Amino acid sequence: MLIPHPLLGLRDAAEFTYLGDAALLNRPDPGAGEAAFCDYVYLRDNPAGVHRELWYHEQGDRSWLVVTRNTLTHEILGAELARDVKGGAA
Amino acid sequence: MAEPLIPVTALGGTAPKVQGFGPLTLSERPDVALASLAPLRAGQLPDLPLPGPKDLAEAGGLWSFRTTAEAWMILAEGRAEEDFAARIAALAPGCAVTEQTDGWAMIEVTGEAAALERLLEKLVNLDPALLAPGHAARTALHHMGCFVLRPGAGQLWLLGMRSSAGSLWHAVAQAVQFQVVTLAERAQD
Repeated sequence: MLIPHPLLGLRDAAEFTYLGDAALLNRPDPGAGEAAFCDYVYLRDNPAGVHRELWYHEQGDRSWLVVTRNTLTHEILGAELARDVKGGAA
Repeated sequence: MAEPLIPVTALGGTAPKVQGFGPLTLSERPDVALASLAPLRAGQLPDLPLPGPKDLAEAGGLWSFRTTAEAWMILAEGRAEEDFAARIAALAPGCAVTEQTDGWAMIEVTGEAAALERLLEKLVNLDPALLAPGHAARTALHHMGCFVLRPGAGQLWLLGMRSSAGSLWHAVAQAVQFQVVTLAERAQD
């Protein structure tokens, strides 16, 4: 499986470690209350299909990527630097 | 009487290790000085060669490549015995400069460009185009994180952790032996 790193080109998935749902980028405001944090910490969508997720380029330039992947086919549909995504809708 | 202290290289010899494999030669390069550089404020870049991702740049005897966002490694041949980081820090006001020389071991592979390309096809899991002359990459090699640099067509520099220099040498020597020597012998049979 190859991940198209936006800066470094096609890199093997073995160079990366996987974190999970890119929704983790959207941490609730500290005053948002327990229910919001409970959702943030524990609840994840588990879609069969297109999924946005965080991958860390550990054996590369140590960047965090938001990778769009189809969980049914493992097709990688795109990758962006998480630092560019942060602040937008992840 | 106290025994004199004898400096040894990362591979344990009193002289750098050199070994030939057909058209390629592996050599240990303890003379290469390294320092990492990161601007303390975004965009506050010193007047040094600081290339973009994937590239290896050279100017005035200083080589450099990007290690991560807003951070570079500066490298100079024959300057390992100087206070290299201090000299780079003097050239880079407003940057964090850290000595890296003794943290790494460099193995150089030199020889025919065609043989080097054959080696690169199997040595690292990268598109060979990413390691054309003038390029640099960080990747895993035998499960060890390494920087792979291509200063010239017939020259390859591998930077690995000094503590695993022996494993890196073994991995590269084995790959050279198979890709360049054994396969050429089989082709003749």
